[in-house]
Amino acid sequence: MNGYGFRHAARMERIKLSSVRSTWWLATAAVVSMAAAGAGVGLGYRSHTPVATAAQILNNSLGGAIVAQLLLGALGVLMVTGEYGTGMIRSTFAAVPRRRVVLAAKVAVCGGAALTVGLVASFAGYLSGQLAIRGTAIPAASLGDPAILRAVVLTGVYLGATALIGVGIGTIVRHSGAAIGTLFGLMFVPMIVAGLFGEDGIQVGRFVPLLMLLNSIAVTSPVPGLFSGWISTLLMCGYAAVAILCGGVLLRHRDA
Amino acid sequence: MIELRELTKRYGDRVAVDGLSVRVQPGVVTGFLGPNGSGKSTTMRMILGLDAPDRGEALIGGVRYRDLNWPLKAVGALLDAGAFHPGRSARAHLTALAASNDIPGSRVEQALRLVGLSDAATRRAGTYSLGMRQRLGVAVALLGDPGVLLLDEPVNGLDPEGIRWIRDLLRGLAAEGRTVFVSSHLIAEMALTADRLVVIGRGRLLAETTVAELAADDDSLEDAFLRLTSQATDHRGVGAS
Repeated sequence: MNGYGFRHAARMERIKLSSVRSTWWLATAAVVSMAAAGAGVGLGYRSHTPVATAAQILNNSLGGAIVAQLLLGALGVLMVTGEYGTGMIRSTFAAVPRRRVVLAAKVAVCGGAALTVGLVASFAGYLSGQLAIRGTAIPAASLGDPAILRAVVLTGVYLGATALIGVGIGTIVRHSGAAIGTLFGLMFVPMIVAGLFGEDGIQVGRFVPLLMLLNSIAVTSPVPGLFSGWISTLLMCGYAAVAILCGGVLLRHRDA
Repeated sequence: MIELRELTKRYGDRVAVDGLSVRVQPGVVTGFLGPNGSGKSTTMRMILGLDAPDRGEALIGGVRYRDLNWPLKAVGALLDAGAFHPGRSARAHLTALAASNDIPGSRVEQALRLVGLSDAATRRAGTYSLGMRQRLGVAVALLGDPGVLLLDEPVNGLDPEGIRWIRDLLRGLAAEGRTVFVSSHLIAEMALTADRLVVIGRGRLLAETTVAELAADDDSLEDAFLRLTSQATDHRGVGAS
């Protein structure tokens, strides 16, 4: 073997990610928050009149993604800023001096982990919602229905993309508190701004992460004016790519 | 061998390292001496490619650090006693770094044994005493069995037993033919550990000498060091009156 490469760096990142407690706490909290939201919604609708539709239950039972995206976003941020905050980054760059190999490895490992957790969380939200409405007149939403399956899967992908946006912002900002603040700000502030435009807000709103999640991704059919779930999810991946590329450019020239 | 050529680093207006040219030879312990803030750590970071020099270059066996095939197998570095995540165990920390350079897990256990951390290996590193953190840092440096060792203030926070352990370790590594470059602001400690000395002040080379030569002209090594660096310290207190 002629020197280290991506494969070695990825192994290092996998060991690093799995050997700190915060990873497991954040992943568990993401799944639990979605499961709890799903169950809460289901139970709330049990005695609701008029009887809820399958689409309504599905959309609302995936609402825990609002919390889960922040938890997984923080997971992505901490994967980078946790190293800058502790001095670990110097050990990492001494071991793998080609920094963009490190960033690529972090993206791959964090992306894979967050996508897995995101999908588990999303299915947990859907399932708890369905379990909570069993025995009522509310129609069940079957995963055999492509629209239902798409919403659940894309919500998981959305969560994975959020973690990658976190990796990008973490690489740019380098400070845990500031980076998590920036991420949360980017998730919520554009939604408020879009709201200020009233009816025209949809022109802006269809690009805003949280609005895409609630009205285009985690639904059986998107609210008119918004992109389809696939496009919205791709847009999220695009945001992640932009954040990571910016981080990669800065990473090269900065002192560690 | 480590070779610094006209190495220069500025932070804003302040010149941290100023045209430093030094060769550090294998087979001996070379002490890197200078007052606080004289540019020792900055130089070490530039050798490791962590900070980019504004001018000049640092070469290890003729190549820049970033061009090394297996950095940890060529150069072992102890930069500071906190270059780890406090929530991670010593074993996980070493295992992760080992994986990046294709170093087998058996070497991780060996390094833990060498520094005496085998029994504490599963504990989170954040719970370690300062001395144990230094030992973990030394374990990282030894992980790849490298031919070149860079240690920045390795005796900081160590008790007398630990200091002697580091001293014997460094001398033993040099005796095996490795290049050992160790910084300190403690002249007395360097007198016991190092063979050759590189003395800097305000980022400039003041002397490249041996311990014996430096002490020859003055009453003590400490006097010689203070005379040498007297024009090159940033902060000085006055005696109590």
